[in-house]
Amino acid sequence: MSDDEEHYEPRAHKKLLQAIGSLGKVQHIQKSTRDERQSRQDEFQLVKSVSSAESERAPRAVGLNDLVDILRTSKHSQAGKKLKNVQGSKKVLKKPLEKPAADRIKRTIGYEGVTKKLGRWDAVVAQQRSAETQIFPLPSETIYVNTSASARPLNTRIKSNLARELEASNRKLRELRKAQIGDTTDEKEVAKQERILHQKKLTRDELFAHRKELAYLKMRESQKSAKARMQNKIKSKKFHKLQKRQKMLEQMKEFELLQKTNPEAALEKLNALEKSRVQERASLRHKNTGTWAKNLQVRAKYDKDVRKDLAEQLAVSRELTQKKQESDSEEETSRKRPAPEEEENDYDPFNPWTKRKTAEEAEKGKGENEDSNWRQYWTKRNRNEKLLEEHRKEMEEELQHDEDQAVGEEETPEPSSKAKPAKKSVKKSKVKIENGWQVEEIERTEPEKLKGKSNTKSIDDIFEEHEDQVRAKLSEKMETLKERVNKLKAAPVKEKKAKKKDALQNLKSLALKKANQQVEIDEPLNYEENVDLQKKIPDQSEDNPETKVTPAVDTIDPNKVTTLVVTQKKTISGGINDALIDDEEAEYDEEDAATERQLTISQAFEDDDIIADFNRDKTKDSELKNTELQLALPGWGSWAGAGISQAVMERRNKRLLLKLAAPEKRRDENKDNLYLNESASKAAREHMVSSLPFPFRSLADYEASIRAPIGRNFVPETAFRMLTRPSVITRKGQVIEPMTESELVKPDRRLRHIVDRRIKRIPKVPPKAKIA
Amino acid sequence: MKVKMISRNPDNYVRETKLQQHKMPRNYDPALHPLEGPREYVRALNATKLDRVFAKPFVCNLSGHRDGVSCFGKHPKQLSCLATGAYDGEVRIWDLANRASSRNFVAHDGFVRGITYTQDGGRIFTVGDDKTIKVWKAEAPEVGEDEVPVNTILSKFGLHGISHNRKENKFATCGEVCAIWDEKHNDPLKTLKWGVDTLHTISYNPVETSILACCASDRSIILYDQREAQPLRKVVLTMKSNKLAWNPMEAFNFTVANEDCNLYTFDTRKLQTPLKVHFDHVSAVTDVDYSPTGKEFISGSYDKTIRLYNAHHSHSRDIYHTKRMQHVVCVAWSLDNRYVFSGSDEMNVRMWKANASEKLGVIRPRERVNFNYQEALKQKYAAHPQIKRIARHRQVPRHVLNAQKKMRTVKEKEQVKEANVRKHSKKGKVPFVSEKKKHVLKEEV
Repeated sequence: MSDDEEHYEPRAHKKLLQAIGSLGKVQHIQKSTRDERQSRQDEFQLVKSVSSAESERAPRAVGLNDLVDILRTSKHSQAGKKLKNVQGSKKVLKKPLEKPAADRIKRTIGYEGVTKKLGRWDAVVAQQRSAETQIFPLPSETIYVNTSASARPLNTRIKSNLARELEASNRKLRELRKAQIGDTTDEKEVAKQERILHQKKLTRDELFAHRKELAYLKMRESQKSAKARMQNKIKSKKFHKLQKRQKMLEQMKEFELLQKTNPEAALEKLNALEKSRVQERASLRHKNTGTWAKNLQVRAKYDKDVRKDLAEQLAVSRELTQKKQESDSEEETSRKRPAPEEEENDYDPFNPWTKRKTAEEAEKGKGENEDSNWRQYWTKRNRNEKLLEEHRKEMEEELQHDEDQAVGEEETPEPSSKAKPAKKSVKKSKVKIENGWQVEEIERTEPEKLKGKSNTKSIDDIFEEHEDQVRAKLSEKMETLKERVNKLKAAPVKEKKAKKKDALQNLKSLALKKANQQVEIDEPLNYEENVDLQKKIPDQSEDNPETKVTPAVDTIDPNKVTTLVVTQKKTISGGINDALIDDEEAEYDEEDAATERQLTISQAFEDDDIIADFNRDKTKDSELKNTELQLALPGWGSWAGAGISQAVMERRNKRLLLKLAAPEKRRDENKDNLYLNESASKAAREHMVSSLPFPFRSLADYEASIRAPIGRNFVPETAFRMLTRPSVITRKGQVIEPMTESELVKPDRRLRHIVDRRIKRIPKVPPKAKIA
Repeated sequence: MKVKMISRNPDNYVRETKLQQHKMPRNYDPALHPLEGPREYVRALNATKLDRVFAKPFVCNLSGHRDGVSCFGKHPKQLSCLATGAYDGEVRIWDLANRASSRNFVAHDGFVRGITYTQDGGRIFTVGDDKTIKVWKAEAPEVGEDEVPVNTILSKFGLHGISHNRKENKFATCGEVCAIWDEKHNDPLKTLKWGVDTLHTISYNPVETSILACCASDRSIILYDQREAQPLRKVVLTMKSNKLAWNPMEAFNFTVANEDCNLYTFDTRKLQTPLKVHFDHVSAVTDVDYSPTGKEFISGSYDKTIRLYNAHHSHSRDIYHTKRMQHVVCVAWSLDNRYVFSGSDEMNVRMWKANASEKLGVIRPRERVNFNYQEALKQKYAAHPQIKRIARHRQVPRHVLNAQKKMRTVKEKEQVKEANVRKHSKKGKVPFVSEKKKHVLKEEV
């Protein structure tokens, strides 16, 4: 080693270094020269640019400057100047985006275009889907478009003198031409040429349009690429902060607007905001554990500002955690008592079922079977009523002169004549203001308050109180939210998702409700499992044919019971008529249906004491069952005429008294809230529908659809044809072509079939609901 | 003496001409028809039963192929014409009216992968495993002439499928790349590629004719536009999609037959969740084809059955099978919406009725009215349990039944497990994921 060091030759060493240095600079692959136009660049011919040292030796490539110089000296000095100017004034294009990124942008733009194009079909598809009858192949209607270029002048019989002269001169001119120059252009050819010209013109227009479109696309692409390039370049935290703040503010504004117009949506929005906050919290920012905070901690000893920053940060984190706990408790309370929106729609204070199920009830609900539901229903109802009764008594004692009207209205055992008008007013108020009636509260808050605080409070007070509470809570939430906005801390993570609009929104909004709803069954086909059942059923129907069918709907819950009461009244009127009306009424929007359901319940409960009726029915049934039959007929056996001793008669009558078996006990005897219909046949039960089939929303609608007969024995011939018209009509041996673009601009089909025309003529009920 | 008697005016009951129908005076007062409901119910029940009695969907069996049938090509204009390709490279043209093969020729070495007619039905395009596209005349050659292709195009890439544009003279093939061809050129107009090994099926949108879609071997479905230089979008499912069919009446909807026994209907504009998941098959679904009305589609499966679905329902409305039918490879729905075809591994093409109990042949007007009435009654009482039971009862092969049981058990087990996990973990940690969302892995831009 030491020997080598001694023999150190600076010159040789330098040489060696040079040799090593020039190792990388040698260009083994020659730069390609092109002598022919190629569509593809070979990647192997792309050589590294030669380094400066190398280029000194090798002949330099011709640059723009050289050209300019040469041009300046020559007689093309003007051109040289221009070139120079161009070089100076025009910017060099930016380096294009990387291939994957650029491709992605192109794809997005292409997809957007396609989406837009497909959106054109929304209306047609929606219309097709909701059509009562579809005829295939789609009836094609020829459309005549009068384009000005091909339009001919009017061929009128009566011509003005001027026109006549013009025509004559034209004819003369043509003849002259034919005679002199041998002009053989005949009319047809001219027309042909004209047509071709016309076509060309069209194509030119199309070309322009195409070019425009391309330019637009290019523009969009460049915009997007620029944006993509920009996005990651911005490092300024302040910028991002500002952006966040702006977004937050926007949201806040939106929220405030919503709060005024649509409180439900506002609440939803509030929840979304809350969620975003929670998510931010979950991200564990604003803790002093990040690198930024750690760095600050080091500097905090010396720098006051830094210390302040850190403190702020800590404060934020503390606030966030505190807030979380608070909101938790809020959630719990809200779970305990249903949200105000849910309560608003309720009407009957005793009926625990008229209120919508809260979330947890809905979860539970599936497991419960029908009977227990019944029992629950009645126990709850009784309890409610009892409580109200108590409350009323107390009130009566204290202030008899102003008996509360609101309670009176709800009281069931009132004289019907008095109750009716009151009822109406209630209904109206219900329709008008929904938040005025939070009847729900009776059940939970009232009893506590009655026992605990003051007995003098009327129900209205209680409601108001509760309303205030809710309001206070909402405003509280709002306040905190505002604070947060002002402090600008939340990251709107969820925002994108909220903003992303539904791609199929258009199709959904265009969807019409079918005037004539039909049952849709979407279940797996049943295979062999039911074989034994199938065997069993025919036997039963043979056994008792008279109990065969009553296509009424099985009753499950009181909603349905009560509606059944109403509908039975309806059956008295003509079936077909109200079916037609009902069909039109099926256009009600859901809210309407819901409110109507509520109303029918209340109407059914209007002026009868249900429990009393219930018990009466029960006893009547058992009475019927347990009577003895007197078989003696008047006059029978008294052949000798009047005057036979009473004793003999009695003895005989006694003999003829048919004693039945010992009275059976009712199966539901000990069950107060239960009524088992013992006369209903079990065989019929198998033929009854147990639940509302799919597209129907209300039992009334479904019943109406079932009730209306469609056979020609029961309805007039035309109605029969209308009602039995198939939903899809195809013709044998005709190819059904896919939809074409002419469908987009097609006018209404001219109706040829008499039934079609009749259907068309039926007046439509003006749509109640706005088109969303 | 005055004799009282009933007198009737003949104008009231004698018809004017023989062609008129007898007047049937009826009183439609509902009070006179107290049992109209029950009567109609019984009629509906009987109609349903008769429907099942007459449900004989099998029309005929077209035999002639010497190897499994691999693909169908429907003639766009003639209903009686169907082209089929087989595993041995043979193509047969069937005369469906006579239930006979009218023409056959060997088109390729190896599988025939795809057949398509041109838009006017004048020529046939076939692609095969030998990397060629061959063009044939639709009419049979004169007597004594040989079957020779009009044109043979050698492709650089392997070919797995072909689809013809409905309006322009363009067609597209798939394989290693998606290539758009003009009928008059021997080179593709453009090739579209998006980092996938194999695209095994391709389908042009029949309504928006510039859009097409491919299914790829990386479990994805890729959308293309023939005018764009780039593919449009890709959506990746949990398993491979075997075939894709566009709805001919709803430009934006398409359905894919998937390897995981399900079919998925997508809206092109919202690919992250399918509109509908169609269940019921018990093995990989191999092919799907829409009815020309766009209301229904047919699917063939490896479980040796064909199922007919309503396009908006998730369960099938009917199932067809025969004892001798093996794995179904391809299916098609005839363009008059009356018949469906199935080609299977065991060399046969079968023809079925699209409505199992439909009456073939001439239907008199009164018959037609009666059928309509029965149909309306069935529809009206569809939800009644007895009618539902009868209408939806099907006999299925034992192996399908067993497989179904097995699948149900597995599913139940999974559900129970998930519920248990949910019960014993923090609230909200195990979210409820809808069935629709489970099957789509991602949407790539």
